[in-house]
Amino acid sequence: MRTDRRSRLMTWLFLAPTMIGVGIFVVVPIVGSLLLAFFRWDIITSPRFVGLANFTELATDRTVGISFLNTAVFVAVAVLAQLCIAMLLAVLVQSKMPSWMRVFFRSTFFFPLVLSAASVSILMKYLFNESYGVINWALSLVGIPAVPWLTSPQWAMVVVIAVYVWQNFGFSFLLFVGGLSAIPGDVYEAGAIDGATGWRRFRHLTLPLVSPTVLVASVMAIITALQVFDQPYVLTRGGPGDSTRTVVMVIYESAFRQLEFGRASAIGLVLMLLIMLVTAAQFRLARRFVFYQ
Amino acid sequence: MVDRSTLTRRALLGAAGAAGVAGTVAAWPRLTGADIPGRGEDALTILILGTAQDAAGRQVIADAFMEEHPDIAVRIQSVQATDWGDFFAKILTMVASGTQPDIVYTATEGAQLFAERLALPLDDYLQRDAEEIRDYFEDVHPSLIEAFMYKGSLYQLPLDFNAANMYLNLDVLERNGLEMPGEDWSRDDFSELLRGMQGDATPYYWTNRLFGGIVPWLYVNDTSFLTEEKARGGEQFWSTFYPGEERSGGYLWTGSNATAEPVHESFEYLRSLVADGLAVRPEEGGGNTLVGLFASGRIGTTPAGGYWVQGLAEGGMRPEQYDVQFFPRWRSQRHQFGAAGYAVMKTTRKADQAWEWIKYTASKEAMQLAFPTPSTTPTRRSMVNDALYAGVGPEHWSRFYDTLDRFPTSGPIPAPPQQAAVETALIRNVSTALSGGAAGVERSLQNLDRDLRAVFAEEDS
Amino acid sequence: MIRRLKNPTTLATYAVLLVAAALTLGPVWWTFTTSLRPAAESFSLPPSFFPLDPDFSSYAAVFEQIRVPLLVLNSGLVTLLIAGGQMITAAMAGYVFARMEFRGKNALFAIVLSTMMVPAQVTIVPVFMLIRGMGLSDTLLALIIPAIPTAFGTFLMRQYFLGLPLELGEAAAIDGASPWRTFFSIYAPLALPGMAIVGVLAFNFHWNEFFRPLIFMISEENYTLPLGLVTLQGNLGTGSISIVLAGVILSMIPAVVVFLFGQRYLREGLTAGASK
Repeated sequence: MRTDRRSRLMTWLFLAPTMIGVGIFVVVPIVGSLLLAFFRWDIITSPRFVGLANFTELATDRTVGISFLNTAVFVAVAVLAQLCIAMLLAVLVQSKMPSWMRVFFRSTFFFPLVLSAASVSILMKYLFNESYGVINWALSLVGIPAVPWLTSPQWAMVVVIAVYVWQNFGFSFLLFVGGLSAIPGDVYEAGAIDGATGWRRFRHLTLPLVSPTVLVASVMAIITALQVFDQPYVLTRGGPGDSTRTVVMVIYESAFRQLEFGRASAIGLVLMLLIMLVTAAQFRLARRFVFYQ
Repeated sequence: MVDRSTLTRRALLGAAGAAGVAGTVAAWPRLTGADIPGRGEDALTILILGTAQDAAGRQVIADAFMEEHPDIAVRIQSVQATDWGDFFAKILTMVASGTQPDIVYTATEGAQLFAERLALPLDDYLQRDAEEIRDYFEDVHPSLIEAFMYKGSLYQLPLDFNAANMYLNLDVLERNGLEMPGEDWSRDDFSELLRGMQGDATPYYWTNRLFGGIVPWLYVNDTSFLTEEKARGGEQFWSTFYPGEERSGGYLWTGSNATAEPVHESFEYLRSLVADGLAVRPEEGGGNTLVGLFASGRIGTTPAGGYWVQGLAEGGMRPEQYDVQFFPRWRSQRHQFGAAGYAVMKTTRKADQAWEWIKYTASKEAMQLAFPTPSTTPTRRSMVNDALYAGVGPEHWSRFYDTLDRFPTSGPIPAPPQQAAVETALIRNVSTALSGGAAGVERSLQNLDRDLRAVFAEEDS
Repeated sequence: MIRRLKNPTTLATYAVLLVAAALTLGPVWWTFTTSLRPAAESFSLPPSFFPLDPDFSSYAAVFEQIRVPLLVLNSGLVTLLIAGGQMITAAMAGYVFARMEFRGKNALFAIVLSTMMVPAQVTIVPVFMLIRGMGLSDTLLALIIPAIPTAFGTFLMRQYFLGLPLELGEAAAIDGASPWRTFFSIYAPLALPGMAIVGVLAFNFHWNEFFRPLIFMISEENYTLPLGLVTLQGNLGTGSISIVLAGVILSMIPAVVVFLFGQRYLREGLTAGASK
């Protein structure tokens, strides 16, 4: 009886910091955001109830529309590139090689993850500079004329994606290495008897076996990519034009540059809804394609 | 059950916990910001855009002020921001979080935002202390004052300004056998000059922002992307301090002028420069590498004001390596300028003390303390002199101030109270206009028009 | 080795891996070598990939331009306190979710997990208001306190405790140990590696964090390193790449240290989140 009471006390005491913290700093703000989305508010004057106006304005606002489109393109290309590169390198790293080399490659590909996106974007901004950047210099060696990487709408998104993928592929890579090394060797031996090698072996043996990892990796990659901010903020400020303006940048600009907090909340809620929908859709799709052993 | 390793781990846990608690207690002042000098003190707080170094630089003015006003404690606080828009956002955040300053040093970009929402008009004080402040106005060009008039009231006394003039790299000119152009040069002379620049230097380098971006090219073409009107009012002020001067109660930018034909011309001109490889596509939020590039002879011409002289000198450029010229003439030769001064926050409880600060900092004594080097152009004409530019300035440094006299219609950066949204719309559409063909200019201007209409419509509702 | 390289597949494997490694390390190496060039030469091409004549003046310039020690102190305080706080609170909550029985456990755990899906940007405005209400505006505590409750860390610690043998606790209970004793004397010490994972992850994330400091920190005295770096880039009158890159290299040092010594924890933490 005494133990029971003590257990109960301990349970709630131990839960308190996390539950109260999550409650105050996540749950309450979500509710706050929900309410705020129905007001027009600039902090200085008192909020004014505007009903659904913030949401209906989103539908007609060109910048918001473009930012969602940009984010969709960004997520699709960046996540696909990130997963493909990570998978290729993970498979290659798992092939036969001296273990010190494997350790070297594994650490190398993982390294960019520990850097700050702001630092990386700063240095990449110089590398991609049109007139004195190293990348254009290297291209000029093979006769390619200078590319306006960051100052033309066509290329800016390519650079933002490239910089993002450069820094983040290591995460998916780690997951894939983990998934691949969990595949028992005898599966491959059996496959070899059936004559499965190279691409066929990858497509029909490896991929189905790591499909649960692929699912997790893609869910995490998509959730992270949907929230991209640091890279476009430092590299291009969303420009040229609106070409690299992402949803989170519009939230930031609406709230902290134009002081339209209601609008910012409304966009944020739409983004959150989107993240939940995409995640749910992925798990649904997974039921058909993911193979659990 | 409890083996040695768990014991040492327990010891480790305990030690880490104790160290953590001790560290937190020791760092408490840092964590709560209580160690920031002056925080929580009842001082007159003055906020500037810049680094802590800049704040330290202004401390001499604060010290001199406190010597004259021993009863007023002054604290200078700096906020870093990448541009003025960023700075205003930070100030609004401070207001929101209840930590706003009493006085802010702010520029033309925010003049009307402050006048409309944040700042206190100075009219009553100016009338009260008219005699004390008269020598300031006698020394300062009325165009600069008019830029800080809003609906007939004056909100700031500008202390420094910069007109968008053209900097020319004499090394690049010499390399290409080109001549320094005359004061009356035209836009076509400018194009010709750029065409004459061969080699690896960029003939025309510019940045995409409100100052020195597209706007100077709109002004010299006698147009702007916003409709420009003048407010009535301010008669008493003008007759008191500038008798005989026909000036208004301030600029009013209330609508879009983006689809006007001359605007299209200016955009198309810059687009053709970019297309012909004579100008770079403008960078956004950039400009930080500009000095290095200009000083190392990789840029032929670029628009800038007097603020550049000091930076170029520090970047290793000698005065004879460059010179400054007026912007080339087109339909007119109207120039664009930006200026800055202290604004008193409406929320302050120390308005009288703040006014003393404004008055003091506008005195010649204080301005000489504030601008010991040509890192900007002082608004007092008597200070723009040989002494300031000796050894560091270009041959024709006098053009920095002469711009105002020669082109008396020169106007400020167009920045209505909705500055942030207007700037965003402009920058965004300038870059799209320049990156496509001629048809892209038309489309971008229509988009700009629509964006601007939306900005101004929102204000009305 | 040589014989194996003759195999075209093996050769291709090494080629691809080496190119990928070069592309991964190249930019960082370039940053390092350029930071060692004199400021005036920082724009010169071709780039120098070997610092034959290293010039450390850019590093001195960084210390002049921004208050590096203060930035490091701020970043250090913020990340260490968040990491420490997360380790403790996550271990406590994780233990309860793994080992204790109580009504509403699954529902509570589901709520905690679902908050992982909420992007920080959605809640930033109300959090800003809360901070203001608490009188913590423009203080480092504004960055620290909201970041301590961690859903992800709680989840990780729950997994970790589930992986520890149940028998230890049962045996202790038979010996008459209280639930408190069971936790503090038996499970908590065993869970240290798990807590280290949580700590290293938190350190890595918050050391590099940019979005919240950008919004919450106003006074320069409260800037963290990434923020200081970005403004270093903006304020720089002389526009030297070397100086900015020297700042970038300086900011990377702690992250690299964590990488070298905490790599295992980082890797485990990142992958543990995925393998449920």
